[in-house]
Amino acid sequence: MQITISHVVKRFGATIAVDGATLDVADGELFTLLGPSGCGKTTLLRLLAGFYTPDDGEIRFGTRRVERLPPYERNIGMVFQNYALWPHMTVRANVTYGLRLRKLPAGEIARRLEDGLRQVNLVGLQDRYPGQLSGGQQQRVALARALVLNPDILLLDEPLSNLDAKIRVQVRGEIRRLQQALGITTVYVTHDQEEALSLSDRIAVMREGRIQQVAEPRALYERPANRFVADFVGTNNFIPGVCKEREAGGILVETSLGLVHGRLADGITAGTPCVLAVRPENVTLGSAGDNVFEGRVVVASYLGNTLRYDVETVPGLVLTVDVHDAWHHRPLAVGQAVHVGFPASAALTLRDD
Amino acid sequence: MATGVRPLSAARPVLPALGYAAIWLFLLAFLVYPLLQIFYDAFTDEAGHVTLANVAEFLGDAYYVRSLGNSILLGLGTVFCTSVLGFAVAFLLVRFDFRGRDLFGYLTLIPIISPPLVGVLGFTFIMGRAGTVNVLLHDWFDVARPINFVYGVHGVLLVETLHLFPMITLNVVDALGKIDPSLEEAAESVGARGWRKLRTITLPLTTPGYVAGALLVFIWTFSDFATPLVLGVHDLLAAQAYLNITQFVDRRLFRMGIVISALMIGLAVLFLVAARRYVAIKDYSSLAYARIARRRLSPPAQTAAIAFLSLVMLASFIPYLGVGLASVGKGWSLTPFPVQYTLQYYERVIVETPKYIVNSLLYSTLAVIGCIVIGVPIAWILARTRLPGRDTLDGLNTLILALPGTAIGIAYIRAFHAPLPWLDLKLTSLWIVLPLVLCIRRLPYTVRGAYASLLLVHRSMEEAAASVGATGPRSFRDITLPLIWRGVLVGSLFSFVTSLQEASAVLFLSLGGWETIPVGIFAFYIAGSANEAAALGVILIVVAALTVLVINRVAGARMGGMFG
Repeated sequence: MQITISHVVKRFGATIAVDGATLDVADGELFTLLGPSGCGKTTLLRLLAGFYTPDDGEIRFGTRRVERLPPYERNIGMVFQNYALWPHMTVRANVTYGLRLRKLPAGEIARRLEDGLRQVNLVGLQDRYPGQLSGGQQQRVALARALVLNPDILLLDEPLSNLDAKIRVQVRGEIRRLQQALGITTVYVTHDQEEALSLSDRIAVMREGRIQQVAEPRALYERPANRFVADFVGTNNFIPGVCKEREAGGILVETSLGLVHGRLADGITAGTPCVLAVRPENVTLGSAGDNVFEGRVVVASYLGNTLRYDVETVPGLVLTVDVHDAWHHRPLAVGQAVHVGFPASAALTLRDD
Repeated sequence: MATGVRPLSAARPVLPALGYAAIWLFLLAFLVYPLLQIFYDAFTDEAGHVTLANVAEFLGDAYYVRSLGNSILLGLGTVFCTSVLGFAVAFLLVRFDFRGRDLFGYLTLIPIISPPLVGVLGFTFIMGRAGTVNVLLHDWFDVARPINFVYGVHGVLLVETLHLFPMITLNVVDALGKIDPSLEEAAESVGARGWRKLRTITLPLTTPGYVAGALLVFIWTFSDFATPLVLGVHDLLAAQAYLNITQFVDRRLFRMGIVISALMIGLAVLFLVAARRYVAIKDYSSLAYARIARRRLSPPAQTAAIAFLSLVMLASFIPYLGVGLASVGKGWSLTPFPVQYTLQYYERVIVETPKYIVNSLLYSTLAVIGCIVIGVPIAWILARTRLPGRDTLDGLNTLILALPGTAIGIAYIRAFHAPLPWLDLKLTSLWIVLPLVLCIRRLPYTVRGAYASLLLVHRSMEEAAASVGATGPRSFRDITLPLIWRGVLVGSLFSFVTSLQEASAVLFLSLGGWETIPVGIFAFYIAGSANEAAALGVILIVVAALTVLVINRVAGARMGGMFG
């Protein structure tokens, strides 16, 4: 089922929680709304669910307009951040509640319950109460409760935020597998960029009620549309400057480091202020690269899979450098003078906003 | 993908809007209108012109001014005494561990189990001029003149303090329980310990709860007329109001009663404003308590604590002893204890004139049904909606808590003495007025009980029901109600037991044949039949104790929060 969101606005008093959102979610897609807390992602999800009515704009599921319909007329399945399992009902009663409301025959209910529990690996726990389950199990009951109704659309509101880091990765994989097996159109809300990148078909990054960029994970990471997206998704070094002139395959930018060769992005013209975004993994120690600067190590941190140095080049400008092959690398001492460099292709020019 | 389930359709209900309107209509008619009527009467003359003459007359009368001063002094004195006692008991119960701590916890149940009217009776039997203590003093120590323990302002102060200190205790226990232990740990980590920590961190954190309790104590004392009258104290405002209103002869006196009533309502409004400022009142929630590590007391301190609490407990239970003995004692005069025992007083109030018990149960049951029908929807509106008028609803609910029965009784007499529109009937001449006034008076307990449990039902549980297809009423029935019924039941039982005990408002409105147990107690005692009064008092205590037992079974409920 395709979702079409057009110019949707939602206000709470004076604050605009969602400001003119326009989006398409394709049939069978796992679409993620990503952003910091308060960016409007949960509001947008609840507009889809029907817990809020938009002040303006329209929402379609397929060809049907739904923005004025109550939740129970939208045929959605929703998984809540705190799971919202009913504590006075067993797993069985929780999962089958919606089916019983629809007065399905007992055999059909039993069959769907069994299917639902099998899908989420919870067979045998149907007579437990939510209080007797672990966090991961509760999460899967919530998922089963949403799925047994065969919803057109699955809505997930930060479903993993209450789980331990290890289980989170595991459940994340399960959700993705299940979603692809069922081919169900899914909207997923999270503030965790790694989670978003790893399981989404496409991602919308939101900030202060506005959608900043909609893209596939790789495009989002490699070609962020603006400084906010570049900063929120992954880690970036930002070097402010002014665009000077185009050159072969790129653009020359004047910064406090001197002239830097950068990669040209859309909407950048000579003479405008801009910011260069360089990922730490693309910065190397030594004198290789199109742009090389002298600096001094100010912080060294060991992150397990990487060794991270903060190198101060000119006063006030610190470049973060990631060394991945820590085994073959001779650690640098804090205070040591080094050269750092990066290729022009790794320095993306962005509008400074 | 295949959609095997058809979407459900829903009726668009008009009913909720009508229900909301009905709730407002009820409150406007039976709460707001009577209160406004009192103010109108206080500031107009017989012809309906606005005037300050009534107030001027009140302030010009030296007797009333002295009564006002006495009432304020008595109120402040009671607040002081209850605060000292209440804080001490609360801290001992919450922060320290010692032998019998659980037993002493029952101290906080006194105001629920023993209605004030019964309490003062019990005191007179044991501590009165010819009571047990004076007789013993005479027999053993040859004290010729009986010591006046209770008759007079000091007696009122004693009785009110012992009856009301649990209100402070309950609120402080509640507030102490809500303090996140990390706040005090943080204070310790920066070096604040002992008294300093108590003074700078702990006490300020309990202030909101304390202020609420203290204000209620003040208003209660200020507007209680039964205790002073039983103890022979007449120069207090509430006592004057009662005597003035019930004499029905002198119109001037009647007007003075109305001015006093307006003054009491003004106090209640003041309470509301203060409560809003200190927020605590609105914080009805908190059935969850932080775990507190209790300090074990050293043996000498433990002995002192137990001695102190035993003394308080002994004093608090004097009324029970007195009422219990008087209800079965025959020929109890000038002896420490009755010389003969009989059940004739019980026979008289249960078998011969069952109307007291029958009326009490009937009116209270009707009142509680009203409380549930109106109170649960109000709680739901407060907890779940942003409807216009919601805050006012919240305010009215709090106002009722602070509104003295004396004031509302007088307000009903004034407001409903006129014939009802389109009917040739006065509401004050129909017995239904008693369940009505009880319903209004006890509404907040039901609302709070339901509200507190609604807060525990996370909204997303209802939303989850909506997402799988449950309509509003359906989700209320299947999800919300099963999760809140205990809270509603506890609140309703509170409403019930406090309705049974209501004396002041009912004393004003009761006519012949409508007598409830408290009215019977007052009438018997004033008429000199103290034993019958005591028998009714015991019945009231037993019913209350049983109800509290049920409440504890149902919820393991904390009584805190209900009173403030």
